[in-house]
Amino acid sequence: MLAYATASGQHLTDTLKLKEVEIKASFQVNNLGFKQVKLDSTILIPRLDAKLSTILSQYSTVFIKSYGNNNLSTPAFRGTTSHHTIVEWNGININSPMLGQIDLSQLPVAQFQGVEILYGAAGLSRSSGAFGGIINLKTSPDWNNRLNVVVSQTLASFHNYTTTLNAEVGNQNFQSHTRANFGNGKNDFPFYNDYTGQREKLTNGFYTQYGFSEDVFAKIKNRHLISARIWYNYSDRDNPPLTINFTPDFVENMKDKSVRSLVEYKYVHRVFSGTISSALIYNRLRYISNVQNAEHQYYSFVNRIGGSYTGIRNLTIRPGIDLTHDWVNSDGYVNRKQRNVLGGFLELNYIVSKSITLSAMAREDVVDGELMPFIPAFGVEFNPFRNINLSLSANLSRNYSYPSLNDLYWDLWGNPDLLPEVSYSAEGGITWNLLNRSKSFFIETELSGYYMLMRDMIVWSPSITSSAIWIPENISEVASRGIETGINATVVFWESNLDLNVTYNYCRSTYEKETNPNGSSIGKQLIYTPINTMNASLRYKKSGYYFSYLFNFIGRRYLGKENIEYMPGYNLSTIFLGKSFKLNDIILSLQLEINNLFGLDYQSIANSPMPGRNFAITIRGSFSRKSAK
Amino acid sequence: MSYFVTLKSVGINTSANRFFFQFSAFLLGILSVLVISSCSKDPIRPNPGPPDPIPEDSTTFSEGFFIINEGNFNWGNASVTFVDSSTNTAHQNIFQEVNNRPLGDVAQSMKVMNNRGYIVINGSNRIEVVDLKDFKVIKSIEGFNSPRYIEFVDSTKAYVTNLYKDISVVDLTTNAITKTIKTPEWTEGMVKYNQYMFVTCIGTFTEPSSRRKAKLLILDTKDDQIIDSIPTATEPLGIVIDKKLKLWVLCSGGWDGYASPALIRVNPELRQVEKAFNFPTSEVPSRLDINPTCDTIYYLQNGIYQMPVTASALPSQPLISSGGRLFYGMAIHPIDGTIYATDAIDYVQAGDAFQFSSSTGAQIRKWDTGRIPGSFCFGETRISKK
Repeated sequence: MLAYATASGQHLTDTLKLKEVEIKASFQVNNLGFKQVKLDSTILIPRLDAKLSTILSQYSTVFIKSYGNNNLSTPAFRGTTSHHTIVEWNGININSPMLGQIDLSQLPVAQFQGVEILYGAAGLSRSSGAFGGIINLKTSPDWNNRLNVVVSQTLASFHNYTTTLNAEVGNQNFQSHTRANFGNGKNDFPFYNDYTGQREKLTNGFYTQYGFSEDVFAKIKNRHLISARIWYNYSDRDNPPLTINFTPDFVENMKDKSVRSLVEYKYVHRVFSGTISSALIYNRLRYISNVQNAEHQYYSFVNRIGGSYTGIRNLTIRPGIDLTHDWVNSDGYVNRKQRNVLGGFLELNYIVSKSITLSAMAREDVVDGELMPFIPAFGVEFNPFRNINLSLSANLSRNYSYPSLNDLYWDLWGNPDLLPEVSYSAEGGITWNLLNRSKSFFIETELSGYYMLMRDMIVWSPSITSSAIWIPENISEVASRGIETGINATVVFWESNLDLNVTYNYCRSTYEKETNPNGSSIGKQLIYTPINTMNASLRYKKSGYYFSYLFNFIGRRYLGKENIEYMPGYNLSTIFLGKSFKLNDIILSLQLEINNLFGLDYQSIANSPMPGRNFAITIRGSFSRKSAK
Repeated sequence: MSYFVTLKSVGINTSANRFFFQFSAFLLGILSVLVISSCSKDPIRPNPGPPDPIPEDSTTFSEGFFIINEGNFNWGNASVTFVDSSTNTAHQNIFQEVNNRPLGDVAQSMKVMNNRGYIVINGSNRIEVVDLKDFKVIKSIEGFNSPRYIEFVDSTKAYVTNLYKDISVVDLTTNAITKTIKTPEWTEGMVKYNQYMFVTCIGTFTEPSSRRKAKLLILDTKDDQIIDSIPTATEPLGIVIDKKLKLWVLCSGGWDGYASPALIRVNPELRQVEKAFNFPTSEVPSRLDINPTCDTIYYLQNGIYQMPVTASALPSQPLISSGGRLFYGMAIHPIDGTIYATDAIDYVQAGDAFQFSSSTGAQIRKWDTGRIPGSFCFGETRISKK
């Protein structure tokens, strides 16, 4: 049960020959009884030009609030908000300590190999505060790889161009990954502006983004695993004005530079394994608009020691400590601010019988010398049948989310007296899967339900003097409950492969507290939180041809706590058509993508125009050589 | 590489041919749903909810008053509520109902001249000029720098204060900006005295109060020049004129608690501050107004306060306490002198408006409003001869 020995199967190759179903359960329960979903290379490879925001909105039910192409996009799960979603890079929290969230449009797919989505308290031992869940971007070695090179070029509507390069080279003991991406675009798409009553072209939509990363992995005698990673990302983008904005000579530009690095050493023994890791993350954001010129910089230094001991029969013990130091120098703060979080955690996993596993998790944080409340979680997993892959799981947890540094220290508006937000949650789920004997058919389904009560929620609201000045306070209470269900099926027939995925979420996330006797929000749905969301995808492959149809439905989102004004629900369709050719050892793929197939005139965020029907053509070359197994 | 062991192998199970057929049927079902549901072509943009039609017989908007709902900054959900005085019913979102498009982002204020409504849209940088007969847009004036308030010099000329750069001069016959008067940034309230317009000027918007130089600017309306200025306390917002032709300026003290707020009295003839009533630093008073007889002033400080112009100290108790409400806008009816106030609730839902008696403070009426009701407009502005 070595983590690195099992994390294979993520090669960057286009699969041409398909006789058997590739067995990949994407609905899973992790070893602590919590739900997780995976998006692997089969989904990511055709989308090397995309951003994480696009992938998540098309393939997961994480709700993405987007201001448009390459524009601010933030995630939310299970009726929580974006700062209750932690985005990680190989297990390291990369959310901005200033905002407590990250812009997913700044995370290009070309820079990671897989996405792991942990729901609810699944990642609690790694970090507190993820009431909704964790999105982990992963890169990991395939020790059988000798050489694997993927190069892609995409030309898309509205003057958008993306180039990516990915080279993996190595042997059984050493692997190196080099990734580069470069994209730019004008996003000058036409749209109808309600306020002017005219068809206009989006202005100020220019962006350029490039990134480079290098990962090296070394394995010594299957005992020691050493890895080092560095990822540089730069973007320069103009933000288009909202449709309501008629500022003469509108200017809004952001230059965002980040460097993320991580070194990790893992030692594996018969009953013991230990990991020590250290990550340094730097970000600089320069913001320029008609009225503002500001710079924000931060460092996050994340250190962790973790171990795993299996020397006691049926029991796994995983203790660990982590130390995070955040440092911010921002024009928005009076002076430099820092935060130190020391955390200790313990996971216990006990196999009661062949069918029952119990788990417990605990975390205790000390924030700037102050002891925070204890964070516990308990889980149980039950596999009642020997011959049927049916698994039932349930868990209970309490979690705390600390205020972001902006909440605490934003110049004169921040509130240093804020308390952490707290959530109490319970969830249960069933997963089932089946593979037929000839391995030509695989099906899996999932059904889960949750209830979460969040208290002392931090809300920024306008001050008495001006509606443009907002102050944060611990004033809100929210209850969220929902059902998530999905089905994946794969069939192999007539030398072809058919894949179907459908997921549906129902989420009622409601206000539970009113501060004003004239308010009428209690029991009403949270603003900008859809009750219904659904995704479906159908993929078909035969003799080098492939076709996908993606469908996304986002239900109505209310714009006020009294639930009168709303953004109507919409559904988007996307299709992919591709053909792969084999030229000696090189696979060349040509792909056409049509986004917003039916040319829907829609908005995700009020007054941010979205593009109509648009196209992308990608040419991708890959070369792969493996060592004999 | 996490220390979670996450990949679970999937076991191999019995054959399932019947699943194949069920699966195919399921697939067909899903596909047909997708195709049918994808055919809607209606534009998908903010929907104001159920319509609130204007009564058939209402051909004029001069019999009643308007509540200007700011809406949330950057949300584009500003609106105008019309209260028909014959029935005392509130009609929401009348601008959108009549003009079939949203009003814009942050509606700051509205005034009426020549039977035309001038709605100042701060966030959208526009003034929407509407005909009060039917509330149809006559013109959208653009080119402001975050406009705040409009004040009429006469029936042909108006000044518009801005958050940035300048004061705009608008020709009311062409409804266009004809001139700009450069200012030290944020200008707010205006009152006319003889041929002069007294304008509160807060200082640079993006700077903290400690660095701002707050003052009253004095404009000569004949040639649109700034001819003089009077230093004031921090963040002068509202300005009114009393029966003795003295100016009253409410200085909120600034949002950063740097300075104590003050209500100051200015002699416009001598261009001097005559008297200053200081508030505790923790308070942030707002929304200064005066009654029709120009002898009692009113302001908001959580509750609604009333103070005769002859008083020697600030009132210690409010006439109307907030009682958990979030009073956000307040104005005095220019004819009957009753108090109108709004409750913005928590800024993220539709608010309420109230009418109170100025003698007892008792509530007379209550109406529903749109989001963040901030100001009132009681019809045609009379140009004072003072």
